[in-house]
Amino acid sequence: MSTVFENPIGAADNPVQPGIARSGHVLRITAALRFLWATLLVAVPIFLGATLITFLLGHASGLDPAAGIAGDAASPEVVARIRAQFGLDRPVIVQYIAWMAGIARGDFGTSWFNGVPVLLLITQRLPVSLSIAGAALLIGATVGTLLGIAAAVWRGRLIDRAVTGFASVASALPPFVVAIVLILVLSLWLNLLPSAGYIPFSDDPAGWLRVIAIPAMALSVEVIADLARQLRTGLVAALSENYVTGAIVRGLSPRRILFVHVLRNGAGPALSILSVRIPMLIGASVVTETIFTMPGIGKMAADSALRGDVPVVEGTLVVSIVIVLLCSILVNALIAVLQPASRRRG
Amino acid sequence: MSRRWAKWRLILLATLLPVAGCGASSDAYLARVRWAFFMPTSWDPVTSRTGADINTISLAYASLTRLDKHGEPQPALAKSWHYADDGRTLTFDLRPGLTFTDGTRLDAAAVKAFFERGKEQKDSFLKAELMGVERITADTPTRVTLHLSEPDYQLPYVMAGRVGAIASPSAARDTAKLALWPVGAGPFRMVEFVPESHAYLEKNPGYWDAANIHIDRLELTNSPDAATVVAALLSGSIDIVARIPARKVEEARARGLNVVIAPSLSATDVSINRNKPPFDNPKVVEAFRYAFDRQEFVNIATAGVASVTHQPFPSRYFAFQPQLETRWKHDPARARALLREAGYRPGQLSVEIAANPLLVDAGAEIAQAQLARIGVNATIRVVPPGSSSWQSEVYIAKKPQIAIDGTIGRESPVQNLLSVYGPSGIMNLSGPYASPAFLKAVDRVRRTPTDDPNYQARLGEAVAEGVAQSPTNYLYSTPWIVAARPRLKSLNILPSQIRWEGVRVE
Amino acid sequence: MKTGFLRGRSASVALAIVIAVAILAAFGRWLAPQDPIAQNPYAMLQGPSAAHWLGTDAFGRDVLSRLLAGASSSVLASVFSVVIGLVFGVVPGMVSVFLDRRIEWLSLRFIDALMTLPFLVFAIAMTAMLGNGLIQAMFAVGILITPAFYRVSRAATLSVVNSDYIEAARLMGASTTSLIRRHVVRKVLPPVAVAIASMMGACLSIVASLTFLGIGVMPPNPTWGGVLATDLTTLYERPLGPLAPGLLIVATVWALNALADALRDADACPQKVRK
Repeated sequence: MSTVFENPIGAADNPVQPGIARSGHVLRITAALRFLWATLLVAVPIFLGATLITFLLGHASGLDPAAGIAGDAASPEVVARIRAQFGLDRPVIVQYIAWMAGIARGDFGTSWFNGVPVLLLITQRLPVSLSIAGAALLIGATVGTLLGIAAAVWRGRLIDRAVTGFASVASALPPFVVAIVLILVLSLWLNLLPSAGYIPFSDDPAGWLRVIAIPAMALSVEVIADLARQLRTGLVAALSENYVTGAIVRGLSPRRILFVHVLRNGAGPALSILSVRIPMLIGASVVTETIFTMPGIGKMAADSALRGDVPVVEGTLVVSIVIVLLCSILVNALIAVLQPASRRRG
Repeated sequence: MSRRWAKWRLILLATLLPVAGCGASSDAYLARVRWAFFMPTSWDPVTSRTGADINTISLAYASLTRLDKHGEPQPALAKSWHYADDGRTLTFDLRPGLTFTDGTRLDAAAVKAFFERGKEQKDSFLKAELMGVERITADTPTRVTLHLSEPDYQLPYVMAGRVGAIASPSAARDTAKLALWPVGAGPFRMVEFVPESHAYLEKNPGYWDAANIHIDRLELTNSPDAATVVAALLSGSIDIVARIPARKVEEARARGLNVVIAPSLSATDVSINRNKPPFDNPKVVEAFRYAFDRQEFVNIATAGVASVTHQPFPSRYFAFQPQLETRWKHDPARARALLREAGYRPGQLSVEIAANPLLVDAGAEIAQAQLARIGVNATIRVVPPGSSSWQSEVYIAKKPQIAIDGTIGRESPVQNLLSVYGPSGIMNLSGPYASPAFLKAVDRVRRTPTDDPNYQARLGEAVAEGVAQSPTNYLYSTPWIVAARPRLKSLNILPSQIRWEGVRVE
Repeated sequence: MKTGFLRGRSASVALAIVIAVAILAAFGRWLAPQDPIAQNPYAMLQGPSAAHWLGTDAFGRDVLSRLLAGASSSVLASVFSVVIGLVFGVVPGMVSVFLDRRIEWLSLRFIDALMTLPFLVFAIAMTAMLGNGLIQAMFAVGILITPAFYRVSRAATLSVVNSDYIEAARLMGASTTSLIRRHVVRKVLPPVAVAIASMMGACLSIVASLTFLGIGVMPPNPTWGGVLATDLTTLYERPLGPLAPGLLIVATVWALNALADALRDADACPQKVRK
């Protein structure tokens, strides 16, 4: 499944191909600026499109705060009055623009359910989700890279088959299965790590590490599997390239070949995987936050959606869209930096 | 650059491993209790929408009276009280020198302001309870008198709950904020609250009974899933869970946890809404009286721990009426016959059952199966989770035809009957319907002093009337099943609520 | 080649599993030995026995029957999602190549926007706000996997349109529609088949996650994810309980992924695809 998805800001469709020339700082800076401009040209419409989809979802649901405030006995006039009070009777485009203008100001609206400002609810919970997603990404990147390199360097041997087999099975494991198995083994059986609750980093760093350990591990499994497999394929292909043979002939040490040349060129697709995984990690956080009773934005979005609390859902989705876009831009920049000479793209 | 990254990765891995092996964080110097329960519907007693909130509200608020293990009111904020001879005034004498956590004085004026707010605030849920109170006077700074329209001897009991949980009038100037941040004179004061997630409270040294509070910090969170609750207790993420599923008792005890089964006033029921078809047809309502096999509910949902009851309290409660238990026996054939008389052949009637995701017993599926046996197709609709979604949809909006619900009981048996069967009772899904005979019987009980020889008989009549006139069927009563880590000693579990006086942490 | 031989074997195992699951999905309800929703309070939480091959759950229901009946809900839901993704993704993807440049750019950005949305959260939001049922859930998932099919069919169409023999055919006077019908469709089908297989696996995993969370579950109808969730709450009495539904989910998803890999390798043989 991994290879069917691409980086949302895939430069494959990008008409401008930035290249970093090897001579002159000026050229490098203009190239970087052109890259930035090209990225923005793509990112802004994506942001607008995604937020529009989000907003239309809320609008299409036909939900309003009237049900919670007035109850079943509400007459149509009362409902209409409440809708007007919340600005729900204006044309869709007007509502969307007003909502976006509010977001630009930092006003995400207030929850229809408990009157708390949406931004406050999000900022209270964002560190939780980001901790877990970030840790999962870190673990996934680390272990996935190590396994991918090991499988490529010793290809054909037992370790290669083990890693490939593991990757194949691991991609089939839904995140909640992994989470529950880890709880059973690490928490219930071995009593090593806690299985519920969240401790902020500012309160107790060691405790924080302990509570995010299992959820991060659970989410990282798919990343490891994807990354190991992708990296192995890319590295195997890169290792058989001509320039590697040339480097060996020139007498360069294997380690230098591996780290400096091969990784740089084989890392591109792997980095794309990481960037694609980010929206999925944020989405999958719902599962881990529910199982581990963590106050994260995923769980809040899910619960709010089920309650019909539209502003909270929309606010959360906007925040995740922004995070995803920022990560995509970052990864794109990273890829561009790592591959100065070759603009080859699959 | 890649080599540097590799080194940093290894260093990070090396630091992760020993941290994982660290033992539980030391909290020996700070007596901290992590309680997994659920967040209140509102931290303001005036807008709290459910009886179960007394457990959380009583953390931040003290009430005028306090119930003991027998359900009798004892002094709390009020050190004594007395009725006039005609029963139409009730005077409370407050303890001197009481203060709220915001520093303002808790005197007769504050109590008067609180009751007035309870009567007048637009979204107050205490209006029905305070309907009989015509006027409140603050005679002296420590003496407050309630002038009643009719004698009501239940009030000292009622004042032990949310109705008497006095909130600071100055904080009440912003009721929206008070709903999210309590200011009272209770055993604890709030230091942090994240809606739908957790509340952290610390000991309030100004509490009148602070000498009996041995907990410095209480962290309130939502209950974890039934699948992970035992694991959460064992790993120390939580110290005590109120109401684990009965099925988990054996497992919890086997793993060394302390499980306390104590009497409670909780009862589970099938609430029926006679304002929605098909229940506007009395024959259908009567058919449903014979439809449920209560013992099967007890066996499947509570592993035999609960006890069958046809009324909103358990058999050991003093208001229990044994003769009601045999009035309607489980009789599917009779139910089917009654449905046919009402015009529904087997398979023709469809209903939707609203299920509460926070209830630990899976009663809805059992009800569905039992209804199938009398030829009724039932679909289940799980109301979305959230601290107030059930209350909004079922108690306020009264949307469902049938709901599997439960009552946690009330401080006064009359209050209990009214909240379950009364015209403005939140658990009366058929509201505002209540038969005049029932209301008259309830009125009679209220006028009777509790030490009067006729009290028991009149209470019995009110209970009988209530059960007979309501389409709702009570199924079984579950005790408190509290699981705690052994480090918590002397748990204080009353039938009406959980309290924290006397609880020690090792 | 050793790895080639392994791949062939795992591909046939995968195919066997997929066919078996398809049969279960189609006929599971009739293959079930007992009524999957019949409760039996006298036989609760039993282990495997002659009467109940996989034991009973907390309501006394036969687990084997529930899993067999649940196969159709879970699998058919995934099929439904994939069909949605196909319908909204493949043809637009093919057509986008022939569109006006600006419209093409806009449609690409729209697809990118869909991909930026956090998958599970958006699926839940869509389900919850449009009516909490499995059909709505899978419709939401179907919309969210549309970009995958769009990109696959678009990439395949692009490679065909730019190739030499199409140029030659056009010079010889072949019409656009016959070109599409004869060459493009044939070129697009194999990668789309790969996408179908891998998306089926992904959707099944998502259905399991959603039903595990209780979204789209209509009790007492069994689903694999729902059965797994309830099995986890009775772990003490039936420690091996979650194994059956868990294995079913994992095996099916693995088989679909392995099938997708095998199809991709078979298609990739004639040309070197860099990805």
